[in-house]
Amino acid sequence: MAWSSQQSARLRLETDILSRYFPTFSLRDSIIPGHAVVEGTMRSNAGHEYVIRLHVPADLPNSVPVVEIISPILKDRFGHSLVDLGTSYSMHLLKPENGVVRICHYSASHWSPNVTFTKVLLKIRAWIEAYEGHLDSGFPIDHYLPHMQA
Amino acid sequence: MSSMTALVYVLEEQVRDLLREKGSSRLIDGTAYGFDDWTVFHAYTEQPFTTPSGYVCTCIVVRSDAMGLVDEEKTLAEARHRLDSDERPVIVLIASSDATGSPSCRALVVTRAGVTGADTRFVPRRSELYTRNTGLLETSALAAKRVLIVGLGSGGSPIALELARAGVGHFTLIDFDRLELGNISRHVCGVNDLGRFKTLAVRDQILQKNPYAQVSTMEVNVNQALSQVDEAVAGCDLLIVASDNDQSRFNLNQMSLNYNKVALYGRAITRAAGGDVLRVRPWKGPCYNCIFSSGLVDGREEEMSQKRQALSVLPAYVEEDKINSMIQVGLSSDIAPIANMMTKMALVELSRGIETGISTVDEDLASDFYVWANRREEAYGNWPRMGFKWTHPSILRWYGARVDRDPNCMVCGSHITEDSVI
Ligand SMILES: [Zn+2]
Repeated sequence: MAWSSQQSARLRLETDILSRYFPTFSLRDSIIPGHAVVEGTMRSNAGHEYVIRLHVPADLPNSVPVVEIISPILKDRFGHSLVDLGTSYSMHLLKPENGVVRICHYSASHWSPNVTFTKVLLKIRAWIEAYEGHLDSGFPIDHYLPHMQA
Repeated sequence: MSSMTALVYVLEEQVRDLLREKGSSRLIDGTAYGFDDWTVFHAYTEQPFTTPSGYVCTCIVVRSDAMGLVDEEKTLAEARHRLDSDERPVIVLIASSDATGSPSCRALVVTRAGVTGADTRFVPRRSELYTRNTGLLETSALAAKRVLIVGLGSGGSPIALELARAGVGHFTLIDFDRLELGNISRHVCGVNDLGRFKTLAVRDQILQKNPYAQVSTMEVNVNQALSQVDEAVAGCDLLIVASDNDQSRFNLNQMSLNYNKVALYGRAITRAAGGDVLRVRPWKGPCYNCIFSSGLVDGREEEMSQKRQALSVLPAYVEEDKINSMIQVGLSSDIAPIANMMTKMALVELSRGIETGISTVDEDLASDFYVWANRREEAYGNWPRMGFKWTHPSILRWYGARVDRDPNCMVCGSHITEDSVI
């Protein structure tokens, strides 16, 4: 199955908005729905770089995209790998797959087609600052980032 | 066996089909089901297309020859030969055409005690089954209508049955769930259907109400079978969404807009304290996403009736205890008003352009979004008591809310034209 015409239009819209807010991000493998990803680099206020991969859902824009941080390998302040933490409420982490960290950004009950990739990536950007705050202070990430009500 | 004359019901269509066969008369193995101390039987010349009930009995069927004759001795000998030790009777059907060419059927009940004649009743064809509705709903018109129902749980299953009762002729049912113990008290199907796909169990219930309905089923997850579901939406006259998650509603909303199909969405909120119904007239009124982003619908309030549903919307770190506490189901009688409202709105939509007794209801249904409260709880906790006034909001009444299209809706907003998606 290929992208529908409105999904193709939506992908164009998403990449247009991304080019304004996150110009390093680009769409890859976009031919086959279910394989497409948006990938790019984010730089924290402290100057550290993170490579982010957003998986475009096959039913774009109707479900929550999976977002992973594929490099660097993230550790908490105490030296434990974030992947090994598994699902973590206090660190806003979902169950990792393929050995990379998945960030909990929007839950399904807060998702709607009005949420763009750029809005998702803004949350990831906030997560990164909170993560670096955790590295400095040892407070869990939800000390900096409040949860959306389940 | 009691002394009353046994009643034997036979499908007229099956007898007609049998009489249409050419060639010499012969014995056919039919099947029969007996009830109530062998006083009532349902007999079939071939396997019934709907799930029968009752106790299975042997049935043999014979067609009279060109002269209208049947070798009764030979037939009864065969029937006696089939009697077994458990006292179950054998039903003999003798089909023939009467002088005017109409089919007729005699039935005999054969037991160890002897042979008795039974009263035979034809299960009539459509024209006779639904004549009582004539005038209120033109059932011949609705017989051509095609509804697609997504979600055959406590909400979708009664809607399916009501539409069958009203004479809707074509159904496509989508659900991948099976009937479990916890569903039975709120579902139109009973313990006989435990473990079955809800689609197939509801199909059999539809056929019990309208044996001539055409029912197709799809045991798929809407969100994972988009192209199949897309095709089903394209082929329907009306889309009824009684699924239990927003992802499926968003996906179906897009399809309803693409194919310009009116869609009805219904849901219950936590513990079925109430619920709401949305009608989407594509490009003319608000779409599901317009309503969702208006805040009138809140995904967090949705009633969780089973664990699979809760797991699909809750973040993975929510603990088992919390998930179990969120599964709070309401009573069937709390779901019924929502299903009934959806049924009425469905009938109004399906009757559009057809002169029917319910066409004035359309004038009253000016709103696209309706709210119902069963109890002053949850979202309706601060409503006043019902009392004797009808000028304030109260439980057990429908309220229409005026909601317009959201010009910024990312699905149907003003930047998206109808032409660009069709
Ligand atoms: Zn809309």
